Amino acid sequence: MSTETPLLLFEQVSKWYGSVLALNQVTLELTGGITGLVGANGAGKSTLLRMANGQLKPTLGQVSVRGTDAWDWKARRLVGYCPDIDAFYEDMSGRRFVWVMARLCGYTRAESKRRTEAVLERVGMSERADRKLRGYSKGMRQRIKLAQALVHDPELLILDEPLSGIDPIGRQELLELFQALAAQGKCLLISSHELESLEKLTNHVVIMARGRIVAVGTLQQIREMLDDRPVSVRIDVDRPREVARLLLALSEVIAVDVAPKLADGGEGIVVKARNPKRFFELFGRLVVEHQLEVRRLEPLDESAHAILGYLLGGSGKT
Amino acid sequence: MTNGTHHSSPPSAFRAWCVLVVQSFQRHLRVRQMGWVSAVLLGLVVVWVAFATQNGAWELAGHRARRITTPIKDNQPSSAAPLARLTNAQEAERLRPDSRYNALAGGNTDRFQPHEVPNPLNPTEDALASLVLSIPHAAMRSEVPVGTAPEVVTKVEPNRFLTSWRFMSYSRWVIFLVFMGFVLPLFTLSYASGAFGTERESRSLVWLMTRPIPRSGIYLAKFLGTLPWCVAFGLGGFVAVCLAGGPAGREALARFWPAAAMGTVAFASLFHLVGAIFRRPVVVGLVYVFFYETVVAILPGSLKLLSLTFYARSLMYNEAVGAGHPGEMLPAMTEAVSSATAWWVLAAAPVVITLFGMWLFSRSEYRDDI
Repeated sequence: MSTETPLLLFEQVSKWYGSVLALNQVTLELTGGITGLVGANGAGKSTLLRMANGQLKPTLGQVSVRGTDAWDWKARRLVGYCPDIDAFYEDMSGRRFVWVMARLCGYTRAESKRRTEAVLERVGMSERADRKLRGYSKGMRQRIKLAQALVHDPELLILDEPLSGIDPIGRQELLELFQALAAQGKCLLISSHELESLEKLTNHVVIMARGRIVAVGTLQQIREMLDDRPVSVRIDVDRPREVARLLLALSEVIAVDVAPKLADGGEGIVVKARNPKRFFELFGRLVVEHQLEVRRLEPLDESAHAILGYLLGGSGKT
Repeated sequence: MTNGTHHSSPPSAFRAWCVLVVQSFQRHLRVRQMGWVSAVLLGLVVVWVAFATQNGAWELAGHRARRITTPIKDNQPSSAAPLARLTNAQEAERLRPDSRYNALAGGNTDRFQPHEVPNPLNPTEDALASLVLSIPHAAMRSEVPVGTAPEVVTKVEPNRFLTSWRFMSYSRWVIFLVFMGFVLPLFTLSYASGAFGTERESRSLVWLMTRPIPRSGIYLAKFLGTLPWCVAFGLGGFVAVCLAGGPAGREALARFWPAAAMGTVAFASLFHLVGAIFRRPVVVGLVYVFFYETVVAILPGSLKLLSLTFYARSLMYNEAVGAGHPGEMLPAMTEAVSSATAWWVLAAAPVVITLFGMWLFSRSEYRDDI
């Protein structure tokens, strides 16, 4: 297979769990480097990752790894997967676990041993890998998960929340390891619900919300996209007319509707503003200066909602 | 990353599959809760069988006689106290001519039915009655000499009627009802359903599903890794139950072990499939064992044709009848299929069930988050 073929390709992929739409017409192409996948809980990140390593089949569309259907077992030779679940064969030692995983990739005993030692060294566990897994800290377990994902030297590494539960020093070590792997030509797809932790690692981000990819690109591109795109924000506040007057004085505000027809029938005002980040900063100052009681602040556009949440440093929920 | 300048042998999917078979076998070394429950169940059954055997529970002579316990005199219930129920041997002894004549001589005929009281005044009728009433004693007490030659008798054994009765009685209650109905299905359920069940419970199946091994291969490897445990415990349990059953148990072991082995393999394949399909395979398996295999398999009608134990029992029944034992003592098996049919079904069932499981598993998704 030509290396020109995308390493990971999602083509119009949708996934239903019964009546729940988990992924909605996702198209994504990865060729290398590190890609951060961010989204709130339930946004569809894990479903996307499980499809990429062939645990799940798309209801519609196709997922392929170097041109091979991701559901095909041969595609798993190319993929290393580090799941977010914290489940092991607890009675095994870390070294034994990684060795068994290498053996289950089809290597001989000697080759498995060599690979096991190499990856344990790589993730910084070679000195501590003889203890039973049940006695490991969260960070050590994450490293062992990473070791098993690396043991067959895959081209594509899919890491589901690999930094969760790791202390700052360990986190820094792993970030350096990820960068080193990317420098070796590996493609890494790393999910996180915190953009902050990925921001140090990569500039290429995929933002998901409610089963859709709402933004792909560098953080800079995404920010510019948002700047160029006005956002509607619902604000429930006392003294709405006074607040509307204050808001209209802001340079970022395009319009204010003081009697909007809201879906839930509630009362509030809807502000249309450009450059959302700047708008929220200015609005925050207004709230403090005029001691406004804000009961609700919600972007009405779901995509913008999700993107803003991340760019503003939240968990995707503004 | 890891192969660097080393010369590394290429990975082999077949090697990975073989490793998975071994690994699946080794995972069962940790005896799980259900395994302990089955072992305790087997222990109880073995103790019960040993106790019953020791007390002659399978012997016709030791059984309580089925007869009216209150004597009747001149067509009226006697005022005498009800008789304690005698064993068949005691009853046969009581009906012997000399016992009856002794009772008549002593004027103690209250405890006899009118037709059992000797009637010396009518020698013909009395002779006929004595002849008929002597039959139980003859059946209970006659023995078969065994020796290297007709004139060299080394020991005597109970007659054919009694040994057959003992064997069929043991087979009916211990082998057909208890072992095939409960013990064997539970043993295989505990091990076979655990192949995937344990991985699901501990959510560790993800480690297998992300290895470069075909899904159907994973299913087959897990089955082959589990099968030796099922056979070892299924047949081991069968041997234990048979050895606790004395001479009848030893004969049952010699005659029935192939059927028990076939049944074990068939059950193992079925419960392995149950473990792969259901999130709570033990519950589903128990419902199947206690409802379908135990109840439906002994009911009249064609539903039993879908019961695995029915075919194993048919094999056993045909083997017993073929050896000259009375098939009438196994009333639930009068509709048994031929041995050839039973062999075919028991041999084909594991293959068909496993192929179906491989097909199904290769199309099924595994979610590690639920």
